[in-house]
Amino acid sequence: MVATVLRLRYRSLGNTLARNPWQLVGFCFGILWALSILAAVAVAMGGVALTQGPPVAYVVAVLGGSALLLGWVLGPVLVAGTDATIDAARLAPFPLSRRQTMLALTAAGLTGIPGIATALASLTTIVLWLRWPAAAAVAVPAIAIAVLTCVVSSRLVTTLSTGLGGNRRAREVIGTLVLAVVIMTGPILTGVLTLLSGAGGIADRLLQAADVLGWTPLGAAWAAPAAAADGAWGAAAARLAIAAGTLAVLWLLWDRAMEASVASPPRQTARALKPGSLGWFGRMPTGAVGATWARSLTGWLRDPRYLRQLLVVPLFPALFAFTTGVHGVMFAASAAFVALILSIASYSDISYDGTAFATVLSSGGRGRDDRLGRVLGAACIGIPLVVLVALVSAFLSGTVVHLPALLGASLGILLAGYGVTAISSALIVTPVAAPGDSPFRSVPGQTFVGGLLVFVVMGAILVVSAPSVVLASIAVNVAADAGSAALSWWALAVGVCGGAVAVTAGVIAGGRVLDRTGPELLQRIKAFPTS
Amino acid sequence: MSETALRISGLMKTFSQKVAVAGIDLVVPAGSFFGLVGPNGAGKTTTLSMATGLLRPDAGSVQVHGIDVWQDPVTAKRMIGNLADGVRLFDRLTGEQLITYTAMMFGVPRTEIARRVSDLLDMMDLREGAGTIVADYSAGMTKKIALACALVHAPRLLVLDEPFESVDPVSAANIEDVLRGYTASGGTVIVSSHSMDLVQRMCDHVAVIANGIVLSAGTVDEVRAGESLQNRFVELVGGRHTTEGPEWLRPS
Repeated sequence: MVATVLRLRYRSLGNTLARNPWQLVGFCFGILWALSILAAVAVAMGGVALTQGPPVAYVVAVLGGSALLLGWVLGPVLVAGTDATIDAARLAPFPLSRRQTMLALTAAGLTGIPGIATALASLTTIVLWLRWPAAAAVAVPAIAIAVLTCVVSSRLVTTLSTGLGGNRRAREVIGTLVLAVVIMTGPILTGVLTLLSGAGGIADRLLQAADVLGWTPLGAAWAAPAAAADGAWGAAAARLAIAAGTLAVLWLLWDRAMEASVASPPRQTARALKPGSLGWFGRMPTGAVGATWARSLTGWLRDPRYLRQLLVVPLFPALFAFTTGVHGVMFAASAAFVALILSIASYSDISYDGTAFATVLSSGGRGRDDRLGRVLGAACIGIPLVVLVALVSAFLSGTVVHLPALLGASLGILLAGYGVTAISSALIVTPVAAPGDSPFRSVPGQTFVGGLLVFVVMGAILVVSAPSVVLASIAVNVAADAGSAALSWWALAVGVCGGAVAVTAGVIAGGRVLDRTGPELLQRIKAFPTS
Repeated sequence: MSETALRISGLMKTFSQKVAVAGIDLVVPAGSFFGLVGPNGAGKTTTLSMATGLLRPDAGSVQVHGIDVWQDPVTAKRMIGNLADGVRLFDRLTGEQLITYTAMMFGVPRTEIARRVSDLLDMMDLREGAGTIVADYSAGMTKKIALACALVHAPRLLVLDEPFESVDPVSAANIEDVLRGYTASGGTVIVSSHSMDLVQRMCDHVAVIANGIVLSAGTVDEVRAGESLQNRFVELVGGRHTTEGPEWLRPS
């Protein structure tokens, strides 16, 4: 049964790759990347084993292993999305018991590229313990437990983030919350490490961290061989027990989550609005611009796929504050980064419409109206947020003098971005999560080249916004008596006026392009594989 | 019926080697209730997509009341109410919001919108679901809301791809009445359907297409030539089996 499911999985992978050569290229790059990481890990392990003593091996194994497990738990949520080729919902029609389904899903997780890479990388850590045969003997079951824990925990997270509660709205909220927590993990960890500082240098800190992690579910499996190498058999056994217990608890939790997700089917009637609640559709003027504006604004405020983009707004300042401090240049400039990310978010805006773009197309509105409506919707959110970030970061970093320059650069980037994406989104569509799907779910059909286009768009934005950015950085860097303040105001003027020109040009040019490409865009969206 | 509501000439479309539409000519008179029937994969949806400006034809032309859809899409699309098959709606909006949005896209005056939305909700028996998100609608309700969106700007030509699929019989009868009233006052309806009984009962004109070409077209009476439309259709299209199915599929 498990073998059948695995065959199915490789068959569908093969079919996807055969369908699009560019996807095959991306896939090969993925494999090369995994291989290079593996090679690096193997070399590092060999080096540590030959040249370093047990404490180093211990620290490397525990910290590396904990990071690996953390990656498996958070990776699907944060970066890659979950591989949905084989998931519980797809296996539901077949006569499989829940246990069989879970075994099949675990096996599928183990045999995917990340699973294979993890297993191989984990096996290389045996090298660390070759000098102590007893430790190496303990390492084998410990590694098996650790790898299984990785796979099972990531499946558990997937089941929770896509199925918990069954209610669509709840799922969306939980998904967004998980992401928010995850994003804050980096700063939190930085903080913890600082707290751990104690007396000694970095080596002592790491050793301390390994000591703590070695007794937690994250690192217990990896700490067991080290204990065996020291001859501390009691500690080794206890750590193995913690690791095995972790795996058992995760399995049981997953079992519960699976049961819950079956008991409450994913489609349930959500709360209904009062009749006559038209939201933004009741406020905007009639016509294609107003309609698109209202729809775009509704999306930015309610659609998790857009909300996910808004999470960068607190992320950038927080990240810079933790890494370089509130008086660093990066923190002061965080509004510019936020502006860049917010404007690039809509570089292939029509993708988010999905095939519902047919509604736009059959209404016969002009492309220009569509472009303008989308820019207005995005700007209603983007401009206040960027201004807010600029104000807050300027006050916190004590650079209020430079506020006009900062605003000029940020708004210049934001508006230039709206202009550039008004054109790019009339040309580019990419596969994205369907409306209502978890925004963290990976979507089939994303291509390597498609991913590179973001950078092209980003480059274009930077070029268009260059005047205000350059002016602003000069203003910040010259002394006050050399006309810094005047330059600063000039940067603001150039940013806003240049941005307005960029938006106008983008809307007009993008509208022309969209008038021409509309039907082809719809065709391409329809051709995307549906998950 | 002198005026032509929809004229399709020499329409062709090929999808990577597979010919979906291989030269279709159709004339839909104004005020007619026109049925488009054909087996799965006959090219019905492809033809209707090209007729409504959603899919660019490889060759051929489409005119709506004399306006070329691909030369002057903005003017042509204002006259068309389109219920497309196989595409999503903006289903994160409530039913009421979706109809309002569509009305705004067509520039219906603000003062008109509320009245039309309200009438359409009653007409489609969707009053109770007005404030519910369209994603939470059943398949039949989704069809009805899409139909309401196609009607909201009072088009001269309605192009409905599978409008009655999974719609309950009571709503279907109500919608049928509305569409009859619409054609009686000069509007034109073109529907694609798999239900021959429905087409025979509702439509006055019909075209049978298969493999991307028109096999027969004209008034319903001309096409069925004294037989039931169902029998005539099977005769034209072929492929009817007369077996009882394989032996393993007989439970006892």
